[in-house]
Amino acid sequence: MRAATLLVPAGILVLVLWSWHGTRFDPVGLLGADGRAQMLAYAEKLFPPDLSPDLLRKVAYWSLETFAISFMGTLLSVTVALALVFFASRNLVFAGVLFEVDGAGQPTRIARIGLFVAAKALLNLLRTVPHIVWALIFVFAVGLGPFPGVLALGLHTGGVLGKLFAEVVEDIETQPLAALQAAGASRPQVFFYGVLPRVLPQFLAYSLYRWEVNIREAIILGYVGAGGLGQQIQIAISLFLENKLLTLILAIYLMVTLVDYLSAYLRRRLL
Amino acid sequence: MSEPVYRLEGLTKIFDGTLTAVNGVDLTVRPGEKVAVIGPSGAGKTTLFRLLNLTVRQTAGRLWIAGQEIGDLHGARLREMRRKIGTVYQQHNLVPRLRVIHNVLAGHLGTWSLPQALRSLVRPREEDLRAAHRALSQVGIPEKLWARTDELSGGQQQRVAIARVLLQNPEVILADEPVSSVDPTLAHGIVKLLVELCGTFHKTLVMNLHSVDLALAYFPRIIGFRDGQIVFDRSPAEISDDLLTGLYAGRLTAASAEDSPDAVAETVRSCTPLLRPQ
Repeated sequence: MRAATLLVPAGILVLVLWSWHGTRFDPVGLLGADGRAQMLAYAEKLFPPDLSPDLLRKVAYWSLETFAISFMGTLLSVTVALALVFFASRNLVFAGVLFEVDGAGQPTRIARIGLFVAAKALLNLLRTVPHIVWALIFVFAVGLGPFPGVLALGLHTGGVLGKLFAEVVEDIETQPLAALQAAGASRPQVFFYGVLPRVLPQFLAYSLYRWEVNIREAIILGYVGAGGLGQQIQIAISLFLENKLLTLILAIYLMVTLVDYLSAYLRRRLL
Repeated sequence: MSEPVYRLEGLTKIFDGTLTAVNGVDLTVRPGEKVAVIGPSGAGKTTLFRLLNLTVRQTAGRLWIAGQEIGDLHGARLREMRRKIGTVYQQHNLVPRLRVIHNVLAGHLGTWSLPQALRSLVRPREEDLRAAHRALSQVGIPEKLWARTDELSGGQQQRVAIARVLLQNPEVILADEPVSSVDPTLAHGIVKLLVELCGTFHKTLVMNLHSVDLALAYFPRIIGFRDGQIVFDRSPAEISDDLLTGLYAGRLTAASAEDSPDAVAETVRSCTPLLRPQ
């Protein structure tokens, strides 16, 4: 017992040392005289931010584009998740109180389980492929611009939300469903009367939270050519336009903070 | 004589091949009868009720409802049969986040198509509104029509569950310990309400009760149930203290020997009516 409790901290220590070595973690190099001088030099180049009216107008446009990518991407992801959640929740497809008295034969049962496994597998595929890889694929498929960004966020986040939604559905209390069923309700009716009202607030809360994540992801997507602020940051860094870069970073700071507050406010109102 | 509402022949339910919850029950319930089922915790009463409302299927034996054998009924015909049986559970009958009106109108789901059900969620029809209001008036809380269900008290929620059963308009009402999670002073009112409503609307009523007092006070026919079997089936006048002691006998010692303090407390509570002087 004592040996086992020592094993955990010992294991963590080994992991830390191994990763430290593996990533060539080097605080001395970073904070040493040389590192400090370089950082300071770069920071000096950043200032002052470029606040020319022409650039500000453009930054506002790019910010709106990034905002639109995150919003449309989240909307698409919710659609994807809702389309799949019904099939990806055990208690709606083949198991639990709704299937205890079930005249269906073995083939139907196997088909239902197959449907469930297929939906789960599809959600896993959408989720495990990172959004930036989806974005690269769609940039090749539909060209540069915000549209591939929307598709990438929609598919990746659709996989994430689908999994979360299914977990919410699988966790709900069964008694109200059993009562509806006992009154003669069909399974789709049980879904709309018993399941959906119960899970909708949590679905909305998760979607809003993912929107906060997506506004940041939408910026990264710009790096591979999917429009918005990210694309401009990539250009500013490659062309050494440091003053413009600082303006863009300030724009990101403002927009992410704004979306975080908006989403947090909406979630508080909902729950 | 009309067909019995329920006819059971050797009805048996064994869970997982080993746990016998209901063991060869023979029973006939005629239209309009009011029957109370009493017995110790773990006697298999709830399983019996789930067999009766067709939410579990028997392992052996036969079951007829209104003359029709149930067998391996499924799909639309199973739904149609379930619609004829209204159930009030101990608690959690209702969908908490739905408004009372929609929980009451859920009683119609057995006859509604999916589009009808969805349209009602958006905007209930005028006639359904009136029906829901009438049902809620009959259970004494018409003012709660548009309330959020999770804002009601336990007793009010049981009244909403009864209103839903009234909308469902079944031939038989099954009530599985409908007042176990309700304040004892309200329990009388709810049992009385169910008995009276069943009288008014000529419904058959089968109620599973924890409280022997309530069973003896309101029901002309009492079934004692223990170890998955019917121990006695007679009128309150024919029920002696010896009979009741026999029904619950051994539970106290058995419980204290092997079960948690909760189970003991439960058993003591179920025996309390017997321990009190007459």
